Amino acid sequence: MAFRKRNVPLSRTEQKPGSPSVPASTEPSSAEVPQAITGVRPSPLDGRPTTSTGTPSLDAILAGHAGLPLGNSIFIGEQGTTDYAGALLRFYAAEGVVQGHRVHVVGMGEAWGRELPGLSEKDESGRKIKTSAEEEKMKIAWRYESLSVHGAERGERFKHAGTSLSGKTGEDQAIFCHTFDLAKRLMLPVGTAINYIPIAPQRNPFPSILQNLQNDLASTPPNTIHRLVIPSLLSPAIYPPISTRPDCVLQFLHGLRALLRLHPTQLTAIITFPLTLYPRSTGLVRWMEILSDGVMELSPFPYDYAQVLSAATKEEDKPQGIFAVHKLPVYSEKGGGGNVEGLGEDLAFTLSRRKFTVTKFSLPPAEGDTEAQEEAARGSGATPMPKKEDLDF
Amino acid sequence: MSSYSRIPPLLQPHTRLPTDDSILLVTSTLGASANWLIIRFLCEALGRDRTVQGAADDGAVPSEGKEDVAVVLVSWLRDWGFWKNEARKGGGLDLERLKRDKRLAFVDGLTKMCLADLHEGKPESAQTPIERFQGPHQRTPLPTGRAQPTVLPVRGPPGRINARIPGPTAGTSIADPASMSSIHQGPVAQFYITSPTLKDVRSAIEGAIRHVESTGTQRKTLLILDTPSFLLASNPDITTYALSAEVLHLHKFTSHILVHVPADDALISLSEPSQPIEVEGNNFLVKMAHMSTRILSCRVLDTGYAKDVSGVLRITENASARTLDLLNTERDGDERRGRELLYLVKGDGSVKMFERGAGGDI
Repeated sequence: MAFRKRNVPLSRTEQKPGSPSVPASTEPSSAEVPQAITGVRPSPLDGRPTTSTGTPSLDAILAGHAGLPLGNSIFIGEQGTTDYAGALLRFYAAEGVVQGHRVHVVGMGEAWGRELPGLSEKDESGRKIKTSAEEEKMKIAWRYESLSVHGAERGERFKHAGTSLSGKTGEDQAIFCHTFDLAKRLMLPVGTAINYIPIAPQRNPFPSILQNLQNDLASTPPNTIHRLVIPSLLSPAIYPPISTRPDCVLQFLHGLRALLRLHPTQLTAIITFPLTLYPRSTGLVRWMEILSDGVMELSPFPYDYAQVLSAATKEEDKPQGIFAVHKLPVYSEKGGGGNVEGLGEDLAFTLSRRKFTVTKFSLPPAEGDTEAQEEAARGSGATPMPKKEDLDF
Repeated sequence: MSSYSRIPPLLQPHTRLPTDDSILLVTSTLGASANWLIIRFLCEALGRDRTVQGAADDGAVPSEGKEDVAVVLVSWLRDWGFWKNEARKGGGLDLERLKRDKRLAFVDGLTKMCLADLHEGKPESAQTPIERFQGPHQRTPLPTGRAQPTVLPVRGPPGRINARIPGPTAGTSIADPASMSSIHQGPVAQFYITSPTLKDVRSAIEGAIRHVESTGTQRKTLLILDTPSFLLASNPDITTYALSAEVLHLHKFTSHILVHVPADDALISLSEPSQPIEVEGNNFLVKMAHMSTRILSCRVLDTGYAKDVSGVLRITENASARTLDLLNTERDGDERRGRELLYLVKGDGSVKMFERGAGGDI
C-alpha cells in the first residue's frame, strides 16, 4: 500500500488555524507509522519522500514522483510582466503553512504572508466539500487508489480528499495537497508560521540568507519540513545591484544546492525568476538553471479582452500561457529517460480563482475561417497533394 | 551481473581508457545530463578489475593484462549520496567499499565550497564573496552528526563498516595547513573543497590523489572532474588559463583525466553584449576540447522529446590521437572518428544504446 495514513501530528500542528487537535489514535493505522510527517508521502517510483507544491497539476508532472522530492528545488522563470509564478509560490507557501511546515520567504515583508490564499470550502470543480459521512464512504475507494496509475489524474483524484481544515476528525491527516481560494485570505497562526528573511540593501545579501536558513534548520527538530520561497530572484525592486554579479548569485545557488543535499529529508525550495530582465540565452541564467533541480518556464499569452469576457461566462477556462518544462528534479539528474506521463507534450497553464492547472495544450480549430479552408481545398484540387513516394522523409 | 557488463556493448570501446595518458572530455546539456556516462566510466575503471582480482565472479573474461585503476572523483555539483546511489543502481558498484579499499577517493566540491560552516560562528555574512576569497580559511570539519544525504537505505550489514576501519591515513601528511583542514580524519578520508579558489581545489585534489596512491601498488589513476567550469562562473578571479593550467598540473600525477563540462548553447555562445562568464566558459570548453583525445557529448534529440530515447551521444576521437593509435591494428578507421548513438536511460538506471533507426525493439 503506497499511501500510509499519517496521523501523528507535528508538535507545531496546534498552531494551525482552526485545526482540530486530532488524537493520533483515531486511526488504527497510525501506530504503524511512528515517523509520519504531515504533508509528506513516499514517491510511488522509488519511495523517496515528497511533498506537495500546493498545485496538484504541478505535482503530477514532476516525473512520476507525484510531488516535489525533498531536498530538491524548482526554478520557475516567467516571461513578461505578469505574476503567474507568484501564484504558484503562494500556493506552495500556503500549503506549507497549512501542513505545519516551516516556511521561509526571502525578501518579502509580512504583507506577502497576509496575502496567502485561504483554504477553499469547495473543491476545485466547485462542488461543496463532502461531509464526513461521505468521506467515510470514500475511504474504500481511497484504499484502491494506490493500485492505479500514478499520473496526471492523480492530482484530480486528490481533489476528493480536499477537505477544509475545519473538517472532520482524522480526515485532514491524509491530505497531501489542499485546495486554496485566491479570493480568500489564509488566517496565519500568530507570528511564527513564516520566517521572513530580509534582504540587506547595499551589499551582497546572499550569505546572510543562507546563514539564516542554516540556523533555522539547525534549531528545529529533524523531522520539521522546511520550505524556502524565493520570489523574483534578482528583481531590481528587491535585490541590490551587486547581487546580479555571477559570483554572488551563483555562489548563493551553489550554497543552496549544498544545503538541500545536506538536508535531503527536510528542505525544498521554489524560486521564481523574471526572464524578461535576464534572458535564458545568457550564461548566467543557464548556470542558475544548472544549479537548480527543476526548471520550468511560463510564457503568458498576450492579454485578451475577449478571453476575459468569455472566461466570466463560460465554464471552461482557456489557457493563459505556455508552460515549458526544461528540467525535472531527480529525473533529469539520472539522465532522463523512461516513460514519464505528460513529458514532451506541449503544456499550457490556466490560473483561476481556486487552482493553477497545467494541462496539455492544443490549438482549437480556427472558427470562422471557412474562406481559407475552402481556398485550401480548391488549391489542393488544382495542384494535387504530392504523392507519398514524392515526399522525402 | 558484473559492473562491467552494465556498459552497453556499443559504448564499451568508448569508455575504455586509452593506453596512453590522456584527457577525455564529456559534455552535457540542461536536459541531457551526462551523469549516467560518468557512472559507466566508473564501471569501466572499477568494475572490471574487481572481477579480475576477485577471480571469476560470474564467468567474466579473464584479464587481458589490464592494469589496476584508481579513481579520484571530484564533483562540484553533486554530492556523495547521489554518486553512491546511482553507481549502485546503475552500475552495480559499491562505492563505499571501494572508498574504504582506497580504490576511490571522493572530493566534495558541493557541500562546503559556498556554504559557510555554521560551527565557525563567524559573522561571515558581512563579507562579500570577494572578501572571502582572500586567504584560506581554517575550517574544521563538521562533527560526525552531519546528515548523510542518503535517500535510499544503504544495503549491507552496518557492522561491516566498523570492522574495516583503516588506520590513520598515510599520505595525508601534507605540510600545507589548508589541505590538512580539508581532510576529514574519519573512518574513511573525506576531502572537501572549502572555497572556490584554485589553491583549495588543488590541495584537496592532491590530497585525494595521494590518498589513493598511498596503497603502494603501482597503478593508473583516473581523475574525474565533474563541472570544473563552475569555478570560472562563480569566481571572476579565476581565468580560463589558470584553470586549464591547473588541469594540466593535475595531469602530472594522474594518467587519465575525464572532464565533464556543461555545454549548453547559452553557456558557450556569446550574447550581446558578451559577458565574461560566457567568454570564459567558451574558452575553457574549446581549450579542453583541443586537449582531449576523445570527446563524448550528450544532447537531447533535435526533434524533441521521445519516449524511447533519452538523448544523443556524439563520440569524436581527436584526429591527432587517432593517427597515433593507427599502430593499434584493431582500430577501424573512420567508424571511430565521429559517430552518433542514441541512448535511453531506463528507470532502473540501466542504459540501452543503439544506432539511429535500430531502437524499435524495446
